[in-house]
Amino acid sequence: MSSRSAILGRLRAARRPFAEVPPVAERRPVVPLDETSPVELMAHFVSAAVKLGCTVHVFDDDADALAHLLALLEPESAVLAWDPAYIPLPGLSDKLMEKGIRVVRGDPEVRIGITGVDAGLAGTGSLVLCSGVGKPRLASLLPPLHVAVVTADQLYPGLEAWLAAISAGGPDRPGTTSSISVISGPSRTGDIGNISVRGVHGPGEVHVLLIRS
Amino acid sequence: MDVKANHFITTAQIALSNPQLQATLAVCTRNGLQGRIAGVFEFGREHGEALRRQAAEAKRRALRNLPELLEQAEARMQANGMRVLWAADAAEARQYVIDLVRQHGARHVTKSKSTLTEEIGLNPALEQIGVEVLETDLGAYIVQLAGEAPSHIVGPALHMSKDDIRDLFIRKLQMPFTDRAEEMTRFVREHLRRAFLQADLGICGGNFIVAETGSLCLSTNEGNGRMVTTLPRVLVALVGIEKVVETLADFATLSQMLARSNSGQSMTVYTQMIHGARGAGEDDGPEEVYVILVDNGRSRIYATDYAEVLSCIRCGACLSACPVYASTGGHAYGWIYSGPIGAVLTPLLVGLDNAAPLPFASSLCGRCKEVCPVDIDLPRMLLDLRRDLVQQGHSSALWSLGLRLWAGVSRSQRLFGWGRRLVRWGMRLIPQRLPGPWRAWTRHRALPPPPDTSFHALWRAREAARRHEQ
Repeated sequence: MSSRSAILGRLRAARRPFAEVPPVAERRPVVPLDETSPVELMAHFVSAAVKLGCTVHVFDDDADALAHLLALLEPESAVLAWDPAYIPLPGLSDKLMEKGIRVVRGDPEVRIGITGVDAGLAGTGSLVLCSGVGKPRLASLLPPLHVAVVTADQLYPGLEAWLAAISAGGPDRPGTTSSISVISGPSRTGDIGNISVRGVHGPGEVHVLLIRS
Repeated sequence: MDVKANHFITTAQIALSNPQLQATLAVCTRNGLQGRIAGVFEFGREHGEALRRQAAEAKRRALRNLPELLEQAEARMQANGMRVLWAADAAEARQYVIDLVRQHGARHVTKSKSTLTEEIGLNPALEQIGVEVLETDLGAYIVQLAGEAPSHIVGPALHMSKDDIRDLFIRKLQMPFTDRAEEMTRFVREHLRRAFLQADLGICGGNFIVAETGSLCLSTNEGNGRMVTTLPRVLVALVGIEKVVETLADFATLSQMLARSNSGQSMTVYTQMIHGARGAGEDDGPEEVYVILVDNGRSRIYATDYAEVLSCIRCGACLSACPVYASTGGHAYGWIYSGPIGAVLTPLLVGLDNAAPLPFASSLCGRCKEVCPVDIDLPRMLLDLRRDLVQQGHSSALWSLGLRLWAGVSRSQRLFGWGRRLVRWGMRLIPQRLPGPWRAWTRHRALPPPPDTSFHALWRAREAARRHEQ
């Protein structure tokens, strides 16, 4: 008999535990947000992300955000990045070329990684990044600084709301995306003497560029 | 990992006389408890308790339908492109990994922290066939470097002070001197970089598997988990069969309660959902993903009154809350699981004979149940295990004789009355100051004066008075 059928057989032969547990009546989101107007979501997202240790900049439009990003990239000659098609900064590709900044793959020496996001979670200040063509995972992982560009219409109240939205269908439905990373702040550890330290193996700095429009 | 749980009394005594361990435990259990309160009750006690109920019910529904959910999860994971293997016990799970390592010609293996792989003794088995296995979670890396066993399911190196770790890094890695945790961490970051990039096979555990979508979910903080699941060509995940949950909504509740109960974080830094190998045209990610569903005693526990213990999501809250763990630390428990959850899980997994003292390593204060995000009734199970021990003859002859005598005396009114009188007399004979080694005890304590009359006599007088009134 295979281990599979042996295991399933033993489980099936047992008296089922927890027969009394009722079906789900109502479910609460872990972070309860009463107000979910776009402005409220932005406010929650910014304060939660700052609390996680992210550096957050809010811009009125993408031109301001692009100018900020280019200033940040001034000393760099190469970056890890998503395909510009997935970063909501029109003109980014041309500007990088103009400045002679190369977009490379998986180079561990590069200092900055630039990505868009698939969603932002207001309740926890988290960034949701789905893998895919043109969306390398290493851009948000290898460099010491991860810059994520988020637009206000990408915000959801929390993990529950976003999962419900993608379950309803669409291209990012779980199962069609090989990997989903929900990122909540800079990489951290408390393993040395219970002292909280940022930047272990992942980025020690996360900059969020939030665009209002 | 050898089970040394039967030496609990000795190992606990060693821990109690280690002043540095005591100081470390005091800090980390206090931080753990405070973090948990801030996290779970951030939106008020009522909301926090409602979430505990919601989380407990999610796990309980999942356990009730476990065989069906495992089949559903398997089908979904296969449809997503993952290979699913079933291991009945530790030996089979190890063999699967060894076969995969050989099949893919892997020489360098990186690991993200997994308690299950400690449970099945995976690292020594891989080292035996000449494969280099590197733990990459900072705490797990530290204990691997020190040649020690993890002392905590979440923070494996919690028993070591910053100075211990500094000395270890200087001795083993030639780290330039520093006394700052930040610089020590940066040093390890640089040191492990090459290993991540060089590895050809990654091994991770799994916090949850979502049956409806076939998602393998990992909650981590440092980023090593993402490295291990992204960089090597082959990814092997070992997951206990009890980790499956029904829906994404259940996963959302449980993963957030896991983080909040452990450290008070709203979510762990990285919450990953893996659905398979890299897709066509993707730049990175593993080319093959294997999920090994490990039983190793769980289906046996499932059929007992201890099935509830399978709800555990390994947050570590009960460790911080336990006065025994806070005094002895994790190593005293003699195996990978410690604290109240270890006192229940270890005997169930390795047999009561191999962990007889553990069900007694508790004051039954009930705090472990109170802080558990899935409301596991650990005190109830600790008591039941004690009963099982007695029924299996694990009680000393003298103790049994004493209890039998007591039972006989208290069942007979006459014998009980004589005994009572004997004790009252006896108490008068004991001097207020005891001699010899007992002096220390009576120096600051006084015996209560023997009562003038007994409860039985009072009761009889009361009943007589009442009858008289009628």
